[in-house]
Amino acid sequence: MGGEEDDDDEDEEDALVGVVISRMPPPSSIKKEFLKKWLVGLKALSNSRSSSTSKKEMSVLERKKAIKLSADVAMASLKNGTTSWSRALIQNASKDGNNRTLLKSMLGSEYDKKLRIGSTTTSIMCSKGIRNTTVLRRSCGLRRARKISKDQRVRAGLMAKRLVKKRTQVLRSLVPGGEYMDEYSLFEETLDYIMSLRAQVDVMRRLANASAFSSKS
Amino acid sequence: MERIGAVESSLQFSEEIETLMTVPHESGTPSSFTALLKLPANQAMELLHDSSEKPYDYTFNCTSSSSHLHFPSNLALVERASRLSVFSTTAATPAAQDSPETTNSSQNSLKVKNEPTETDSNPNSSPVISDPMSQTQTKCQRSGKRKEREKKVKNSSKKSKSGENEKPEETEKLPYVHVRARRGQATDSHSLAERARREKINARMKLLQELVPGCNKISGTALVLDEIINHVQTLQRQVEMLSMRLAAVNPRIDFNLDSFFPGESGSLVEGNFPSMVMPLTWPEVQPIGNRQQQQQIWHFDTLHQPVWGNEGENPNFITPENSLLSYDSSANSGKMGS
Repeated sequence: MGGEEDDDDEDEEDALVGVVISRMPPPSSIKKEFLKKWLVGLKALSNSRSSSTSKKEMSVLERKKAIKLSADVAMASLKNGTTSWSRALIQNASKDGNNRTLLKSMLGSEYDKKLRIGSTTTSIMCSKGIRNTTVLRRSCGLRRARKISKDQRVRAGLMAKRLVKKRTQVLRSLVPGGEYMDEYSLFEETLDYIMSLRAQVDVMRRLANASAFSSKS
Repeated sequence: MERIGAVESSLQFSEEIETLMTVPHESGTPSSFTALLKLPANQAMELLHDSSEKPYDYTFNCTSSSSHLHFPSNLALVERASRLSVFSTTAATPAAQDSPETTNSSQNSLKVKNEPTETDSNPNSSPVISDPMSQTQTKCQRSGKRKEREKKVKNSSKKSKSGENEKPEETEKLPYVHVRARRGQATDSHSLAERARREKINARMKLLQELVPGCNKISGTALVLDEIINHVQTLQRQVEMLSMRLAAVNPRIDFNLDSFFPGESGSLVEGNFPSMVMPLTWPEVQPIGNRQQQQQIWHFDTLHQPVWGNEGENPNFITPENSLLSYDSSANSGKMGS
């Protein structure tokens, strides 16, 4: 019937779209914006460092941290507070007092406003998270009494659930701000986070290659 | 909605039920998770691609109004969006006929108006996003009431012979979740909510599966999650390594962006770059350029092409060597490639 043909076509298209989504390079306008912000941040960092500290040489580790931080913040600020992970990332960055100048320059005049918005949302999420049973359970180290079932299938199902729960926990630790999200939004945030990480890696890699090349020549 | 239920329960005509059941094959709005729950997995995935792309287009939308982002022009996706909107309009009319309630029809017409505007404009539009967002924030009260009404209908329809699939959804435009109990499954509101939630999560998982390369073949949530975690960790590690590389290469973290071929900068700029890139970056070079300490400088212009290629025409990495050597005016990267 016509329905089956449609299904076949859609199967192929699904596969195609899946491949397209996974192999598609991040849009270049995002990369452009990211690069711009990142460079602004780096410049601000170097200026502040050279003016405040007497020694002009930073160790490699310090530099690396600065580079990574400014890249992360640049990527997160692109989202403009729409996604939770970006807010959490900026929040974490602003906790360290050293980063204030960087964040100010990168986020611009709206820095304070964004921080306030971010803090209110995360505080709301914190309060929600406390009510979130998974957080409670994990922090208290409670173990739920498992039903003793002799049925193989049920046991396998329970084990699968436990594995999934463990994995979800790991994912929460990876995605910034993941501890306070419920499962559904966690997946959404992961999706978005992966996409922006890809863009970030792309730009950084090209920059690194370009600089490596120019140092050779 | 209620009228349909009444019809079903009172008359129990199998033909009507069949006609109702064929609706989901055509229906589907990109924004309605309730419709997604009814559709077979393939169609749901297809719809999800669109529904997810639009929100992600939106989130990737840069704040600068000048650069309006759209996904690298992918005809398949655009066609799909248009196709879905067409379907939604066709679904609206049989739905309107079936359930002549004023509220439903008004919402349908609203939805119909939204869809054409959506396809006309860029695929990333806010009306679509507001719906998924509102759906994800379903209030339990409304869904609870709905489910109770549905429960009564379902209990009676269970007795009918069409027990295998759920009832098609005409009120897909409404922002709460309808779940129909399958035959032999529990109908209390808790498990319904659970099932709705689980299906939403599974839909998201499928999306993630498609995104992370190599997950398509894997079945099973735990393994898929493994892959996703792996992928995220890999990406994060890459960021660390790249920042280490950049730190090692550069004595200064402020990349000096002066051209070290001052004479050739003009020709490079004219020659190779798409015109869009130039106005964006030229003003940038001036404030950042810093002539004082020139320990490590490289031509910022050469970074354009390696950094973001040619607006999606050449997603491959272009080595600066190639861009430097080829002063042809062709911005095409025919010769360039990694």
